[in-house]
Amino acid sequence: MRQYELMVILDPELEERAVSPLIDGFLKVVRDGGGNVEKVDTWGRRRLAYEINKKSEGIYSVVDLKAQPDVVKELDRQLNLNESVLRTKVLRPDTH
Amino acid sequence: MAKPPARKPKKKVCVFCKEKISYVDYKDTTLLRKFISDRGKIRARRVTGNCTQHQRDVATAVKNSREMALLPYTSTAR
Repeated sequence: MRQYELMVILDPELEERAVSPLIDGFLKVVRDGGGNVEKVDTWGRRRLAYEINKKSEGIYSVVDLKAQPDVVKELDRQLNLNESVLRTKVLRPDTH
Repeated sequence: MAKPPARKPKKKVCVFCKEKISYVDYKDTTLLRKFISDRGKIRARRVTGNCTQHQRDVATAVKNSREMALLPYTSTAR
């Protein structure tokens, strides 16, 4: 099991209260794969430094989790398939 | 006009070594903004005074931050 940090930028047109169930839905893969979601920190709407898909805002969310590498790979794949996800980044903070 | 006498370069100490920060977080944009110019370019080590390792960490953090649209790649303000 490895420590991961995941950041997602979600579509700003999503409703505020629809955000956490959506993220929770994504994280189901981690829970089913024996991983552990440690912290979900939703920053809320934030201005992007440049436009992504013609959108100048995004809903940022940072998730700390512990999981097997292939589970995280699958999570990232599913995130990228979803239309309301603008961008994702997965990092391993302990490699620094 | 006479040239001002050659200034002795003041030896700068790397802020991260001084503060004993080992991990430069790409989410901390207020910190990272100190290491980019107003055009959005990463400042050189001779400007920031960072040590080799920390300058590299800063550069990586800025690049990660740019990917997530937290910092601009370019800003043409002016």
